[in-house]
Amino acid sequence: MGRLRVLAWQTLSVAAIVLAWEVAVRWRVVDPLFVPAPSSIVRVLGVTGAEALPRLGDTLVKTLLGYALAILAGVPTGLVLGSRPTAHAIAMPYVVALYGVPKILVLPWIALVFGIGLSTAVLSAAVFAIFPVVVLVAAGTRDVDPALVTVAASMGASRGQIIRKVLLPAVLPSVLTAMRVALVFALLGTLIAEMLAGTRGMGFQMQRAALAFRAPELFAATAIVSVVSISVVLFLEHLNTRLGRWR
Amino acid sequence: MRIWLWRLGLLLIALTLWEAVASMLNPILYVGPSRLPGALARVLATRDLPPLAGHVWLTMGEIAVAYVLAVAGGLWVGFLLGLRHTVGRIYEPLLATLYAVPSVVWYPSLMLCFGLGPASKIAFGFFLGFFPVTLAVLAGIRQVPATLVTVAVSMGAKPWTVFRKVMLPAMASTMVGGLRTGLALSVVGVLVGELLGARAGLGYVINYAYGLMMTAEYAALVVLVAAAVLLLDGAGALIEARVKRWAG
Repeated sequence: MGRLRVLAWQTLSVAAIVLAWEVAVRWRVVDPLFVPAPSSIVRVLGVTGAEALPRLGDTLVKTLLGYALAILAGVPTGLVLGSRPTAHAIAMPYVVALYGVPKILVLPWIALVFGIGLSTAVLSAAVFAIFPVVVLVAAGTRDVDPALVTVAASMGASRGQIIRKVLLPAVLPSVLTAMRVALVFALLGTLIAEMLAGTRGMGFQMQRAALAFRAPELFAATAIVSVVSISVVLFLEHLNTRLGRWR
Repeated sequence: MRIWLWRLGLLLIALTLWEAVASMLNPILYVGPSRLPGALARVLATRDLPPLAGHVWLTMGEIAVAYVLAVAGGLWVGFLLGLRHTVGRIYEPLLATLYAVPSVVWYPSLMLCFGLGPASKIAFGFFLGFFPVTLAVLAGIRQVPATLVTVAVSMGAKPWTVFRKVMLPAMASTMVGGLRTGLALSVVGVLVGELLGARAGLGYVINYAYGLMMTAEYAALVVLVAAAVLLLDGAGALIEARVKRWAG
């Protein structure tokens, strides 16, 4: 089956699901109080779409700030842990353990200390995003072929030259993967912080709509956030394949 | 052996630093490790907090139901899509795309549909655990060498024998990895659900302690839950290692 046929089937399936959903609501198989029809979600999107934009911007700014923090702290940490076997053996179990602990547990405390504003959401995004970055970059650094370093050193390269000319290019793919993965984690952290202890942003908006039983508004907000994150992920994947081909 | 001593040392340094920093700052907000045991004892004894045992059981029950559903649904959909090549090519990218959305986006809708009770937590735990299981089954099926299946079939093996003797060993390690990730995510799903809005369960107790500014009790509960999660994941890791050895 060709790519176009696959794409056609995918489009058709999604359309069929949306149609079945619409029919189910129209025939009262599901209660529109809980699950609104796609048509009413679209109507709400048309009415409140303009209001949602600044909220979405708010969420994205927090996400990017937390993301930048996670990358700036996580990449060097990963490089250090990956390039020093002893440090890796000592500290990595703790990093992996912290990665495994549900981060939402510490969010109430972050909110208590930093209030319900920007910094809590930014920190939350950073906390969610930093562990995958450290783990991925450290793993990528460890996998660099030691022969490359030996050869460069035996040909008289200085430590700085080895880092710049050998290690960085070899580590770059795993850093890029980490940067791709971390963005979704940062968005997740921001949204959870907004839901738990926020006064602005899409997460807060969704939580409030859910508690107030405003289903169409909630589903519209959910649709906006999912479409944005799906587009970001697809764009980054596209960028990645382009970059891979270039290299 | 030396490594273990170093690890222990790092832990001690971290705890000492934490203690030193916390003791210099506002004790209402910053809780040092030395105050945790006392706080834990108070959590178990005090009448200001809801009795813990019932909430622990509720949360564990929610996790168990969510995970069982996630495994059942994930295996079913995974094999359904994986064994029919064309169907898989159409729907696997759609599933992978949905998996890429920050999961918490779905929780408010689930809370609206299923209410503040256990159902919404189970639904969210199921939802989070379902994807890694499904995707791992799909990836596992792709790892089965087609030639081996052809050879086994041509030598007269029945479908069940082919599945047990050829497919299962080839896909076991990937699948078990997915089952372990699924468990971790089911746990996260239930806990997130309880923290974002619940009337019972461990997450509710944590929120309750935090809401009353009982920071020490809150911290003790968080450390307790985190330790339980790590123990559970450690058990998962042991099982995973076992299965990988069996599969070779």
